[in-house]
Amino acid sequence: MSTPGRAILLRRLRRDRLGMLGAVLLLLLLLLSVLGPVLPLGDSTEIGAGPRLGPPTAAFPMGNDELGRSYLPRVVQGIGVTFALSSAAVAITALIGTALGIAAGYLGGVVDGLIARVADVLFAFPALLFGLLVAAVVGPGQISAIVVISTATLPLFVRVIRSVALSVAGREFALAAVVAGASPWRVMAVHILPNIAGAAIVQLTYALSIGMLIESGLSFLGLGVQPPDASLGSLLRLGSVYLNVSPWLALIPGVVLALAIMSVNLLGDAIRDGLEPLRGRALT
Amino acid sequence: MSAIVQVRDLVVSYASGDGPVCAVDGVSLSIGAGESVGIVGESGSGKSTLGMALGRLLAPGAAIEGGDIVVDGQSVARCSAPELRRLRRERLGFVFQNPMSALDPTLRVGRQLALALGREATPERIHELLGRAGLDTPATVARRFPHELSGGMAQRVTIAMAIARRPALLIADEPTASLDASIQGLILDLLLSLVRDTGASLLILSHDLRMVARRCRRTVVMYGGCIVEAGDSREVLAAPAHPYTQALIRAAAGHEGHGGRLTPIAGVPPVLRGRATACAFAPRCAAAQPRCHAERPAERALHGRTVACHFADAVPAQLHAAESP
Repeated sequence: MSTPGRAILLRRLRRDRLGMLGAVLLLLLLLLSVLGPVLPLGDSTEIGAGPRLGPPTAAFPMGNDELGRSYLPRVVQGIGVTFALSSAAVAITALIGTALGIAAGYLGGVVDGLIARVADVLFAFPALLFGLLVAAVVGPGQISAIVVISTATLPLFVRVIRSVALSVAGREFALAAVVAGASPWRVMAVHILPNIAGAAIVQLTYALSIGMLIESGLSFLGLGVQPPDASLGSLLRLGSVYLNVSPWLALIPGVVLALAIMSVNLLGDAIRDGLEPLRGRALT
Repeated sequence: MSAIVQVRDLVVSYASGDGPVCAVDGVSLSIGAGESVGIVGESGSGKSTLGMALGRLLAPGAAIEGGDIVVDGQSVARCSAPELRRLRRERLGFVFQNPMSALDPTLRVGRQLALALGREATPERIHELLGRAGLDTPATVARRFPHELSGGMAQRVTIAMAIARRPALLIADEPTASLDASIQGLILDLLLSLVRDTGASLLILSHDLRMVARRCRRTVVMYGGCIVEAGDSREVLAAPAHPYTQALIRAAAGHEGHGGRLTPIAGVPPVLRGRATACAFAPRCAAAQPRCHAERPAERALHGRTVACHFADAVPAQLHAAESP
């Protein structure tokens, strides 16, 4: 993205209250999960630290789980795991998706047809069903969670980047670069990539929120991270077992997950709104 | 004068939903070194397709179906990809209609010129180029982003980019169509003075017959994918031989006397499905005869120019008779 574009975007973001709320919330959750291990929250693995299924008290602010472990450090760990897995997967999506989208949009022809068809097939395949399949083949765990999230978020990413790259490729500066003797690789790297960066960032935030949802869904089904590690999804699943005795065990990770996804979406919307007029201007 | 461009019987057609559309229908054209040629025609006359074909820059879906294009001794239609890239980089320069979309909005002007210059890029060379394109403060302009420039300044930057590699042929496709009327003439004059200084040839594609014919040495009028008249600009402007050229002059503002009226050309340009078998202008021609609808006129020499009209020698008298009853 160009320097003035960045400056205008940052100025707009500062004025967008909902967007700022999302950014602050996201930052808090991230800080909490990163600093979790060094904060004095208690041990997440110590069994029988408190009463089984104990309600929130001063010593255990979020109560205790079914093995008497303090719930607060487990939730904090869960946030971290959910963030880490979905971010890793979305980073892969962004790398592959940007490359494929630009190639499809700029090169067109057979390359475009191939990429678009594969993306369509992936798009039509239900993510959770695919998750079951991957978990059955490589076994449940972090790797399969990342694979499933990447493949689930990739098709939409590719299609959005492709359409933006297509419109950028049709503008005369791409042709002017070809006249100047630039190779297709250079046109894509120097001219197309910076011009689709804004759209890629917006799409990345949406992919991240979908990624967190899928990660939680997989862990809820027991296909994601395995005990003793916790993610928001696996905590939600355990909590749902004791819903009528200690509802906070399900409520807390559920609310945290909702807040995390909401904060990412609010930030994504704010970035999109901030870029909209810039993109409009670029198209004149 | 050795020819920089030799186009022989070029046929280009676009694939469309209802069959191929013939955009360039048998065009032959030669441009000498240092010559300035203006191609004039309406939208859809095939002039842009011809210009793009010179650099093999046709949109996907367009195909060169016949004929040959030789630029600087090299066949554009048949050379390999590396040869084509070298040809484009070292021999051709393009100036596009809309300077705002011909500049990358994410790169500073200086950086874009550096990319166009390739290995020779130095700040001095960049500033020199911008200066030659008529920008008074090259150092300031080089630091700007395209959206910080006016349309005229941006077009000067794209011209600087086009001449960066000292091309043998500069192709300008409607270079002034998106600019203020006040600077259109200035930009055309700049292009002409640049090619005069460098010895390059210039091909201007435009819909403005008078503006181009006053500046270029030779004027080529295109209609329906064919060249209908080509010759020395002064002669074409003073005594147009083809009914379409005459109609163009009557339709444009400039020469009519006080209280005089402009005469629009009735009808719309044709969409050619396949190669034409009759005169493409016949349906709109005031002087059309049965023969015009049946037989395609060949290009022939007449009064020191080429005209593609069966009745070119007879037409002026007829039209004058039609005008003053």
